Amino acid sequence: MNRVNIQKTVLHDEVKVFAPVGELDAYTGPELREELTTALDEGVRWLVLDMARVEYIDSVGLGIIVGAAKRTAERAGNLAVVASRPNVLRVFEISGTRELLNVVATLEEAQARLSWPEAEKGGAQ
Amino acid sequence: MSAPLDRDTIEITSPCEPRFLSVVRLTVAGMAARAGLGVAEVDDVKVAVSEACTNAMEHAYPPAEGKACPVIRVRMTAREGELRVEVEDEGGGFDPKRLPKVDLEQRVQEEGGLGVYLMHQLMDEVKIESAPGSGTKISMVKRLAR
Repeated sequence: MNRVNIQKTVLHDEVKVFAPVGELDAYTGPELREELTTALDEGVRWLVLDMARVEYIDSVGLGIIVGAAKRTAERAGNLAVVASRPNVLRVFEISGTRELLNVVATLEEAQARLSWPEAEKGGAQ
Repeated sequence: MSAPLDRDTIEITSPCEPRFLSVVRLTVAGMAARAGLGVAEVDDVKVAVSEACTNAMEHAYPPAEGKACPVIRVRMTAREGELRVEVEDEGGGFDPKRLPKVDLEQRVQEEGGLGVYLMHQLMDEVKIESAPGSGTKISMVKRLAR
């Protein structure tokens, strides 16, 4: 049984959007970590975490996203987070990770923030 | 935590397993609402209590101890404009003086260790009582912003 539903969209071979649904804590977080690790192992360099349907996040979920961001940076890629719920934004804010993780309000802003080649961005339309 | 409960207090005992974190959060959210806290304050309490429980689940009972079914106890007291929460385990404990000072930038880079930091940021009061071999009790207070 899946602990958390994670919707995935491939924008390009090296660009993937993950959209978890529900809560990200010590119970559900490991499943997201596993999915992100698999994608990174397969060569994904740019990640978007769409948190629009995440109702709760704490330091466990945050740590997983920070870890994924570090791995994308090691490959000259990047990561962005889409979030607008006040309680989710607050965790990024007080942990000082809002800038580090490129937290933005929309998927379009996330795509604009990440700097994968323009030709590839065009392919994602 | 075996003392009788007063009329504003409930106590839940949870298996030391992360799958019950959401249940603890639901309960504490209900008590926070009963105390009259606002939506944002209730959200803060949910994260802080979840962090305290996660710490207990991850650190209080090393697998080598082989305890059959360790538990954590969460006691919540809701009074007008104020919620008090105690999260207690009977695990190995630690010396709170040896808790490293939080270097936020370093902790973020290490991908973890932000639980205690978040508790302090989100709650009005946080007190950690522990000693090696005698379990840990984290007491927290959240008040209605005025």
